[in-house]
Amino acid sequence: MSIDPVTLTILNNAFVNICREMGVTMMRTAFSPIFNEGLDFSCVLFDRRGNMIGQAEFCPAQLGASLFIVRWTVEELGVDSFEPGDVVLHNDPYRGGAHLPEHSVIRPVFHQGELFGFLANVGHLAEIGGKAVGSFAADATEVFQEGLRIPPVKIVKRDENDMELWRLIMSNHRTPRNTWGDLNAQIGSLRVAERRLVELLDRYGRDLVEQAADELMDYSERWMRSEIEAIPDGVYEFSDVMEDDGVLAEPVDLHVTVTVDGDRLIVDWTGTSPQVRGPINATFGVTSGATYNAIFHVTDQNIPKNSGAYRPIHIIAPPGTVANVRYPGPSVGGNTETHPKLADMVVGALAPALPNRVAAAEGGSACNFLFGGVHPKTGDYYANYHLEGCGWGAKSYDDGNDAIIVTNGNCRNTPVEIFETRYPMRTIEYSLIPDSGGAGKMRGGLGTRRILRVEEGAEITCNALFDRTKPGFGAWGLEGGSKGGRGAIMVKRRGEPKFRTFSEAYGTVSPSKFTNIQLLPGDEVLIDSPGGGGYGDPLERDRDRVLRDVEEGFVSTAAAADRYGWDTAG
Amino acid sequence: MAGGHWEPIVTQVWETIVTPCDCCGQVVAKQLWVAEVAGEERRFCGPQCEELYRTYVLERRGR
Repeated sequence: MSIDPVTLTILNNAFVNICREMGVTMMRTAFSPIFNEGLDFSCVLFDRRGNMIGQAEFCPAQLGASLFIVRWTVEELGVDSFEPGDVVLHNDPYRGGAHLPEHSVIRPVFHQGELFGFLANVGHLAEIGGKAVGSFAADATEVFQEGLRIPPVKIVKRDENDMELWRLIMSNHRTPRNTWGDLNAQIGSLRVAERRLVELLDRYGRDLVEQAADELMDYSERWMRSEIEAIPDGVYEFSDVMEDDGVLAEPVDLHVTVTVDGDRLIVDWTGTSPQVRGPINATFGVTSGATYNAIFHVTDQNIPKNSGAYRPIHIIAPPGTVANVRYPGPSVGGNTETHPKLADMVVGALAPALPNRVAAAEGGSACNFLFGGVHPKTGDYYANYHLEGCGWGAKSYDDGNDAIIVTNGNCRNTPVEIFETRYPMRTIEYSLIPDSGGAGKMRGGLGTRRILRVEEGAEITCNALFDRTKPGFGAWGLEGGSKGGRGAIMVKRRGEPKFRTFSEAYGTVSPSKFTNIQLLPGDEVLIDSPGGGGYGDPLERDRDRVLRDVEEGFVSTAAAADRYGWDTAG
Repeated sequence: MAGGHWEPIVTQVWETIVTPCDCCGQVVAKQLWVAEVAGEERRFCGPQCEELYRTYVLERRGR
């Protein structure tokens, strides 16, 4: 007999809220701003067969990859190997993971002595060793340069820390105290969620909860199939290009074919460039996460996000391509720079079929800026992973959002006050960039400008991994909309009159991807995030909207005249 | 029609390379679904990928 809709809804909300509470615990107890400010983590609930039955609304890249991370872990270790109180740690990008900094902790949940399922928290540790501080080696050619790789291992056994393993891990990280605090925040959040899940099982009974999980997955599958069925059958293709891989100054091609076949969707990445030497390769988990991310953007947002919703979506990512890196290829930037392009490409491919549900491309770069050193005030080594929001793509019905983190991240920025308290850099400017939104009937969202100055007494080692900084590589528009403005990462050394690219100042191969540059007191770094693409013919833009943009400073009078045909005389 | 069989993946402790599915490219943890397709032995993550290979991949490659 089926469960009544009210009970089903209550249990679905309980699954989601268990994951949300896990996340709030994480946010409140972690050491690093990337967690307690940036929220760069995700919380999920699985049944014992490896089906996702609940997730909270955190980081889409991690949510998509967690399907593979948890299933791989359970299969590799064997479901019978888990005991109450165990926690498995795992960050291997070749075992379903997204990229090396993403560390998953997975805890089995037992109820009355029997395994019910698994709770998992996937979080981006801000520093995990490797050749570059912050573990974003933008010129890495192998995974070994990117940090410490950990296959699924039990870091906690029956609620006892395996301190030998902890010591091994922390001795390979530059900021081990943060590793200790952040990983324990992840593990602690699992314990809170476990308590809530056991309470739920006590209240409703295991049989009912399991039946509800199964019915909810079937419900999500039916709903997703009906959404896909509503898309006209056909084969839709799309291509995009990344400016370089950080090792060779050559563009990298991406290609997707989306086949809508009744109630199933096949997303095929065949035709994407062979795996590159630099770290913009995506793992299978990243490419899958990007695909799911895109599909969820163009289907009903109310579909419960569990394994059922994913069943009708089939992904083909040929190994040895940028869409599916082979061991030991590097992949740290695949999760931040390649994911948003892949997600946007699926959306772009479906534009002819779903013109009112799609958006033009977003800025598509997390603008990863990483730095570290010895803090002049504390004498302690520090490391920070800084990211920026960019402009999102315009839609048929509205302008793109300004200054939002890339679609794979769903993260928040770190407030200037927190940033300056923790790190020896002063924020000189933080602003929206006029004219960075792609022109269109609906305008692309604006990118941001941030200028940071190294404080007296500090010496900083920095790395960057950006994309869309070169001419011609801006976020694409739709239906006649223009490309968004380019991003930039530039430097003005103390006493110099103007900003230059890092290639000009330091001879880096790529202007947007480099590693281990020394900054000295008084040096300034300029970070521009890319703007979003426009939608529709700019000349059809509502005149009141153009006027408002000029008044707000979002569009200059020159651009209003040049791009929108605005008559400055009124 | 799916007509394969499961084969365990046996690795030594020093082997860190993982095995991808011939259809989707997903890494496979413990066991492969092995089937003969168009005269060639293929390794999949499960029968569903064998099916997808037959109904989509072969069709796209014109075989």
